[in-house]
Amino acid sequence: MTPTTRTRWAILGLTGPAYLWLACTIFLPIAAMLALSFLDKSPLVPKPASFTLANYGAFFGKPFYWSLTRWSIELGFWVTLFSFLIGYPAAYALAKRVKGRWREAIFLLIVLPFWSNALVRIFSWTMVLRPNGIIDLGVQSVLPGAPTVDLLFTYPAVIIGLVHSYLPYMILTCYIALQAIDDSLIEAGRSLGANKLTTFRRVVLPLSLPGIISGSALIFVPVIGSFMEPRILGGTKGATLGMNIEEQFTVTANWPLGAALSFILLAIVLVIFGMLYPFLRKQSGAA
Amino acid sequence: MSEVAVKGAVKRYGPIAALDGVDLTFADGEFFGLLGPSGSGKTTLLRAIAGFIELDAGEIRIDGTDISRIPVHQRNIGMVFQNYALFPHMNVAENIAFGLDVRNVPAAEIKQRVGESLDLVRLAGLEQRRPKQLSGGQQQRVALARALVTRPQVLLLDEPLSALDKHLRQEMQVELRRIQRQIGITTIFVTHDQEEALTLSDRVAIFNKGQVVQAGSPRVVYERPVDRFAAGFLGEANFLDGRVSGIAGGVARVALSTGGEVLTPANELGVNDAVLIALRPEKISIDPAPAGVAAMPNRILGTVSAAIFSGSSLTYRIAVGDRIFIVFEQNKSRAPLPEHSTVMLEWPTADNVVVKS
Amino acid sequence: MKNFADAGIRFYLILVLVFLYLPILVMALLAFNKSPLYALPFEFDLVWFKALAENDRLLKAGLNSVLIALANTVIATSLGTMAAVAFGRYTFRGKTMMQALLFPPIAIPWLVIGTAMLVFFFWIGRAIGYPGIARGLHAILLGHVALSLPYVIFVVGARLNDYPKALEEAAATLGATPWQVFRRISVPILAPGVVAASLFAFAVSFDQFVISYFLAPPGVTTLPVEIYTSIRKGFTPEINAISTIIILVSMGLMLIVARFYRFGGERSGNE
Repeated sequence: MTPTTRTRWAILGLTGPAYLWLACTIFLPIAAMLALSFLDKSPLVPKPASFTLANYGAFFGKPFYWSLTRWSIELGFWVTLFSFLIGYPAAYALAKRVKGRWREAIFLLIVLPFWSNALVRIFSWTMVLRPNGIIDLGVQSVLPGAPTVDLLFTYPAVIIGLVHSYLPYMILTCYIALQAIDDSLIEAGRSLGANKLTTFRRVVLPLSLPGIISGSALIFVPVIGSFMEPRILGGTKGATLGMNIEEQFTVTANWPLGAALSFILLAIVLVIFGMLYPFLRKQSGAA
Repeated sequence: MSEVAVKGAVKRYGPIAALDGVDLTFADGEFFGLLGPSGSGKTTLLRAIAGFIELDAGEIRIDGTDISRIPVHQRNIGMVFQNYALFPHMNVAENIAFGLDVRNVPAAEIKQRVGESLDLVRLAGLEQRRPKQLSGGQQQRVALARALVTRPQVLLLDEPLSALDKHLRQEMQVELRRIQRQIGITTIFVTHDQEEALTLSDRVAIFNKGQVVQAGSPRVVYERPVDRFAAGFLGEANFLDGRVSGIAGGVARVALSTGGEVLTPANELGVNDAVLIALRPEKISIDPAPAGVAAMPNRILGTVSAAIFSGSSLTYRIAVGDRIFIVFEQNKSRAPLPEHSTVMLEWPTADNVVVKS
Repeated sequence: MKNFADAGIRFYLILVLVFLYLPILVMALLAFNKSPLYALPFEFDLVWFKALAENDRLLKAGLNSVLIALANTVIATSLGTMAAVAFGRYTFRGKTMMQALLFPPIAIPWLVIGTAMLVFFFWIGRAIGYPGIARGLHAILLGHVALSLPYVIFVVGARLNDYPKALEEAAATLGATPWQVFRRISVPILAPGVVAASLFAFAVSFDQFVISYFLAPPGVTTLPVEIYTSIRKGFTPEINAISTIIILVSMGLMLIVARFYRFGGERSGNE
């Protein structure tokens, strides 16, 4: 369509405010952050700054940052994996085995916590995982005299808390993908002589792949950038890249280094999206 | 009631011309079908008359008044959309009353006119229903009542019956025609269903690539198509190409490129002209070939390659040399001719229609 | 055999729900427990809600959160609905590109967005001579709206896509002026989507921690930031009390949204 001048103004008037807002709060700040990552002095210092690659040099030169990054990525991997292992069967059961009112009710219960406060939900785990918490009390009542179970401030605590936070994402995306699979496709697979497992492996799983992939992306990305969760549940253990970035801005006040680390984080995110994108595209193109 | 005249209508989308110089006049009270494949420009024309599309060139007049610059809501047209576009948040009565309401018609009159139009479409008693609670056919009737209650000058129908199943569609065709006759409103409708167009229309126009290929009464357009596209789009046709070998007594003798000869009314043909002839499958009579029979003009011998049974009729595919003739036959008492048997096809001279290629 | 499998499936789903709700229930329960050290046995008492009522810092932070969430709801819902209408009703060059630009605010980790805002606002502030404007409730609001906009545009857009443009065209052919079309057709049809979007926007802002954390100057906080600070200082059951209230508010909001907006693309009448 060739819009007339009037519709062109209408489009500009309707979209302009929202996009101007996004430009000032997302896109320009990201650009500013990129610029800052190449400066040698924090803007907090009232002296003129000059160009440097030292901030990125610091990252690539120090094994400390490498191990932070590795742990962040590992954390993302474990959280995504566990979310998939727990979430996919739940999504499958919900999409294919439970019907009617029950499905609606359980589905609502699963997505409900996902919109409630993330910080509060992480905090609530401290009361479950700490010594004398629910898990500890449970173990003690079954096995009196067993050693105290103290999971708080451990790696598993961080993983449990993050899986709890992001599991609904995986269930949601897998459920949508699985629900879209026509049951007659599964019946067709069975009628062609495939057993249940083969039908699942060759028909259901590939068709639900976009759901798994987008769920994984939605989990992996925020997890590698997380700092609040590992601080509350992991304490000093298992420092992540996110925690270090936070420190550069709030404690050390080395903003340029924080900016560089942020961009390395962003680069990792982009690489992950780049790797997952072909899967999403291929599948949605076929649908 | 009103006459709609379209002159030199052009609408381009980038390099593609959706309308490429269309001239059509829709007479007062006429039921006019716009027919053509998708993307041929028929819907673009309808939407231009409605006012949703501004023409790049040309004009549209209703009763002589140029309406090109008049916005949609002031055009006084009624339109029925493909999926009816009933307002989901209003009940049947409110849907129908909408056009009167926005014109500030007094409440008492609205009530009366809504009642009348519900009677017209035979839906009295369903005033309080929501569109969702209605069947497809009922929704169609509400959409029609809503479009007519404002007493528009022109009724535009955009594939009005395409969402209905076959049985309901035929019922609604009769209904649509009855209502249109009763009111006598000039009606323009778009369809890609050729049978529907032939059944309903006083006249039809066949569109291709933004141009009107042929316009006329359904019978003329069907019996005397002007070109290969019109012949092939409206119904089925066998195409025979050849060259005029002689003219005598107003009849041209044409030697076919595949062998054999046919006769056709000479009209403006000259000797040695290359011609393309369209021949409708139902015009051909088919019989088992008697022993020793020879081919002659308008008689061809072939073998049955397939006989397709479809209840009331049979479709034969007859191999003649390396080409296939399609022949329709009414399902009378005779058993279908067996495959591979030799048959004789014959048809009258008048049914050989010379068309542009 | 089938019943056995069904029972297994039901059991598994219940297990998942237990995992999701157990910590929240424990926290809520302990908010009503008398002991400040979470010591058991459980003894019902409202002592922590009383303490909360006297905790000015938390109450002030709570008020800030509500005010920001309300302002965010109004701004994000209006701007987002306008953009959604443009996307839903017009075809124009650059539309796909503009829609793609809605993903960065969702896909980029909040940590990166929050720190980037801090840097950018600080530079702007210094350029105009007021470095102080980098942080504060206004900055937090700016950030929250940016995060809410994509959700609003998607939710309203989904509603808009469910209803064909033909409805508005039909109204125009029936003689309705553009204003009448907007008021009598577009608004009523969009309303449920807009209500759902505004509740989403409220929830996004009310729950937002990361962005607020970087943009909150000392002394001016929102509820999540104040809670985080308290947790890091040491556990206090008042936090359980306020957290329980927050969870109830958030979930209540989402239950209302669920009434307006079906999750998971499940359309009515397919059972």
